[in-house]
Amino acid sequence: MSRLLPRIVAFAAIAFSLIWVLFAARNTNFGPAIDDPKNFFITLLNGLTFAGLLFIVASGFALIFGLMRVINMAQGVFFLLGGYIAYDMQQYLADAGGFTPISTDINAWEWLIPALVATLAIGVFGLAIQQLLLRWNQGQDLRQALITIALSVILADQIIEHFHGGLGRSVTWPGSIEKFVDLHVFGIQYSLARLTVLALGLMVGVLLWLWLYRTRTGMVIRAGVDDRQMTSALGINIQRTFAIAFFVGSALAGFGGAVGATQAGAATGADGQWLLNSLVVVIIGGLGSLLGAAVGSLLYGLVFTFAAVYLPSGYTNYAIVFTFALLALVLAFRPQGLIGRPG
Amino acid sequence: MKVGKWKFLLPLGLLVAGSAVATSGALATSAQSNEVKIAILSECKGAFGGAFEEQIAGVQAAFSQYAGAKPKNKKKPSAGITGGSMGGKAIKIVGYGCGDETPALALKETRRLMEQLGGEIMIGPLSGDEGVAVANYAKAHPKQTFLNGTSGGQQTTLKVRAKNFFRYNGDGAQWNAGTGEIAYKRLGWRNAAIIMDDYSFGYTSGAGFIAEFCAWGGKISKRVFVPSPNTDYSSYVQQLPAPDKIDGYFWVVGGSGTGPSLKAYQQAFGAIDPKKFIGNLFFAFYGADKELGPQLVGAYMGGFGTGPGLQTPAAKAYRKLATRWYPDFNPDDGFYYNWWNPAWALTTAMKTINGDLSAGHQKLWAAMPRTLNAGFGKIVLDKNRQAIQDQYPIRYVKKNGAITFEVIGLIPQVDQTFGGQFSETTPSPSRAAPACKKAKLPWMNKIIPVKNGVPQR
Amino acid sequence: MTKGWTAKRIVERCVGVAVLVFVAIGPAALTDYWVSSILTQTFLLGIAAASLIFLSAYGGMISLAQTAIFGIAAFALANFVTTDATGGQNLGWNPWLAVAGAIVIATAIALVFGALASRSLGIYFLMITLALGVIGFYFFLQVDKLSGRAGIPTIREHAPSIVGDASAPPARLYYVALVLALVVYVVIRYIVRTPFGIALQGIRDEPVRMASLGYNVPVHRMLAFGLAGFFASLGGVLYAWWNDLVDPAAIDLNAIVSLLVIAVIGGLGRIEGAWLGALAFILINNYVRDVEVPVLGGSFPTVIGFIFLAIVLVSPDGLMGLWDRVWSMGGRRGEPPQASVDVPLSATGASST
Repeated sequence: MSRLLPRIVAFAAIAFSLIWVLFAARNTNFGPAIDDPKNFFITLLNGLTFAGLLFIVASGFALIFGLMRVINMAQGVFFLLGGYIAYDMQQYLADAGGFTPISTDINAWEWLIPALVATLAIGVFGLAIQQLLLRWNQGQDLRQALITIALSVILADQIIEHFHGGLGRSVTWPGSIEKFVDLHVFGIQYSLARLTVLALGLMVGVLLWLWLYRTRTGMVIRAGVDDRQMTSALGINIQRTFAIAFFVGSALAGFGGAVGATQAGAATGADGQWLLNSLVVVIIGGLGSLLGAAVGSLLYGLVFTFAAVYLPSGYTNYAIVFTFALLALVLAFRPQGLIGRPG
Repeated sequence: MKVGKWKFLLPLGLLVAGSAVATSGALATSAQSNEVKIAILSECKGAFGGAFEEQIAGVQAAFSQYAGAKPKNKKKPSAGITGGSMGGKAIKIVGYGCGDETPALALKETRRLMEQLGGEIMIGPLSGDEGVAVANYAKAHPKQTFLNGTSGGQQTTLKVRAKNFFRYNGDGAQWNAGTGEIAYKRLGWRNAAIIMDDYSFGYTSGAGFIAEFCAWGGKISKRVFVPSPNTDYSSYVQQLPAPDKIDGYFWVVGGSGTGPSLKAYQQAFGAIDPKKFIGNLFFAFYGADKELGPQLVGAYMGGFGTGPGLQTPAAKAYRKLATRWYPDFNPDDGFYYNWWNPAWALTTAMKTINGDLSAGHQKLWAAMPRTLNAGFGKIVLDKNRQAIQDQYPIRYVKKNGAITFEVIGLIPQVDQTFGGQFSETTPSPSRAAPACKKAKLPWMNKIIPVKNGVPQR
Repeated sequence: MTKGWTAKRIVERCVGVAVLVFVAIGPAALTDYWVSSILTQTFLLGIAAASLIFLSAYGGMISLAQTAIFGIAAFALANFVTTDATGGQNLGWNPWLAVAGAIVIATAIALVFGALASRSLGIYFLMITLALGVIGFYFFLQVDKLSGRAGIPTIREHAPSIVGDASAPPARLYYVALVLALVVYVVIRYIVRTPFGIALQGIRDEPVRMASLGYNVPVHRMLAFGLAGFFASLGGVLYAWWNDLVDPAAIDLNAIVSLLVIAVIGGLGRIEGAWLGALAFILINNYVRDVEVPVLGGSFPTVIGFIFLAIVLVSPDGLMGLWDRVWSMGGRRGEPPQASVDVPLSATGASST
């Protein structure tokens, strides 16, 4: 019975949602998918691309959490800081004088380099923090969480102080990306920029997979996620592994920030939102597994996007309730996350 | 046992000492009665944090011009002023409040300024939601006086109606006067969609467009609400009708969202056709963004109760006076003008009553000028102490190769009720209000064209 | 349990009495600002922090959802009781009924949150409660029917007569808050000695053993969470009256972290820390306003962030922990701390239980 109930509830929830969106969505912005397949697919693509960005940021969070049991509360500020660094870098390269450049003025390097600089800068910054503040109290989970919380408070204020007052700044895609492509399906013209975000998410996923499953360091990390004490008892330099993992986790936040700043702009407030996003993905997906982060991102990204669009008009501001419902469902029936292992 | 005794006495001693220090700051002190204590609640965080110095400049410049004060530092208004007196009472600025557009912080700062620092009169706040909170605070604190800064939520005066709260600027709906007529008559829109921030200022600003456009007979076929803050505008922008299915969009997304939302529009529907876009005042904050500026050339937008670039004698005189004191700041900007006016009004009122606040502030309220001949037109207070004000719709233009905006029309004496459409009993602007209906507005067909800053009366 | 009259306990009792006397006569000696903005706020924020510390000290669970529960109670009260406010549902209920309703709703939701989080431990629990807390904020931010985006004002107008409206002397609300704070304190001290409380501490220390003894660990935790939610809701009701406005920003991520900061500064291991931390936080907030941090720039958040960081690094048990440690230094063992938080949290790494 206790095995069956979660499955029934999950099945019912999925079935109901599908039926609603596909067939029955009255009084919503677009109507059900059978009436308006074009917008259904556009929403689907929007959800997938959002999931791509979610994955980039949340995978870093999951990596740090899974291996070191550190809730990196600063993941959100890393994201924001990465965005601003990318902006400043692009301003410098494109000699833009304080204005957001036009896409046609930006070539691929003037996006790639800022993104890379942001990624590396945040990676190094995160590593420094880990070495200074977290390395020596390894194992004291709660204390480390409190440390990262303190850091997030300080850094959020410092960002307002040193980076444009925390005001909205936008990074520009290269001209080759900022256009529409014909998808040949339902006559949809979709933004190539958004597809790029999805592609970047996939790329990050593939690279992470290769790293974790095909390199020695990755193997150590997976072992560490599985059984920290045993791994270090085996004589492996676990501290070095932690350092690398924290570097990569932070760098991912920085990269996500650069992409996010391009897609939606960087501004104060984004740090809190992306911390929540990372938390929800990891809680839903489960601890420390790449697949968990991917599943969590996909599920959350789709629910978030569809809820905003397929709720009856006039109730779309209740979309957050669906995030809560998703979280509640997973927590109620599988508290370790969908891909997580119990205990 | 020696160690034990100290362990007992030391903490106790510290506690006593600490309490003494703390209470010394806490004990009541007597007030000085030959000063008038003024507080300024501005903003130093959030999207309008950059306006902090500017707003203080507006207030203090008016004090300098009309009350004999002198800026301590012409480049840094928050350094304060020296001298100055109103009705025989020396001006003491008790502090500068620092908000971030949230009511919670605005209230906290108001308490700090008015309760801890002893402020008697407060000028501020900046932002819509804050204004509602301050107006409610004012109502609960009838021993003090509150003059609005630029906050533009409708309910602040129309619903709260605090006797000690005065607003010498229009609300967000008034600022958009003229846009509905321009859309209907000049651009030929009959069917429009509106996308707005899902909060009080968004609704109020949108209400200004809706009320006027619908009064003319236009229809709003879609209202889209964007939660604020927001990171991903695509799912909201996507809900807008495509440009070939609608005559135009009214864009009421502000703060840091104006750019990303317009960008999301581009990603969803392609290039922006300026004839199909009308923005509110936030479009004017957009001048710094080269990316979308060029695409917006030709688009109209609502104003800020100011007439930037206006060349009337009153405007020119005002500019001359204002720039005497803080030459680095732009007096045409709403964040300066809308703070100058209430400060100026205050000096006039205090002079009238000879600074006599001893029996409470009722005399002051009666003496607050009901008419101000301000730089950008006459301001008249209605029965709710809300400004009836000239409004100036604006247009994005290309001038000498640069993208800028200019005033293209003047609508005299726009009132908050929109000719009776809004009242104490009508529902406050919200997702569903106002409804779209035909009506008669007092200023229909009365837009006076403005060319090169000169109204063509 | 060694409950003798050690020197430390005597000192603590004396200090406690002195503090009580001080706050009892407070309104007579202090300025209105101190009474209303500093001390009343200390009492109500202390109640909210106590709800957090109750869970951490006696349940071993650090919950970041308390702020959301606090907010739910405040918003519920505001919606129930106002009649023509510029936001909210304006239901115009009887003041006492509204208070009861607010407490019931907030506690019920606390039970739901508790049910969701109760099967998770330690850091995972922290994460889940944080997510729930932030979702609570976004809910009120986005559902403006219930929060009147600009907040719901005029709550004080409809407060029960014992509290009085905004024109009543601040001493009224002050004493109501003081009495409630004392009640919460006494109730917590009492509960931890009841079978429920003792079982809770057992679950904190040895969950597996307790489960094998037949205790339903998740349910027990959930009930404790509900109880803590009840306390937090009291704080929320007081806040609604005190602030006369409830708006979503009052429970945003900053507020969630601030409550944690208060609890940590005061001491996660001892209930007294709740009010000590609240007072410290409010005083710092009040007097650090215009300070510009040298070199780094920034203002209050940077300052409090550094103080928080320092406390976590040096004395994770907060000010009360410092106090405890002062007493156990020099070979003289004052008394075992009444509760200890997650052992790895203490600076020395060694348990002092």
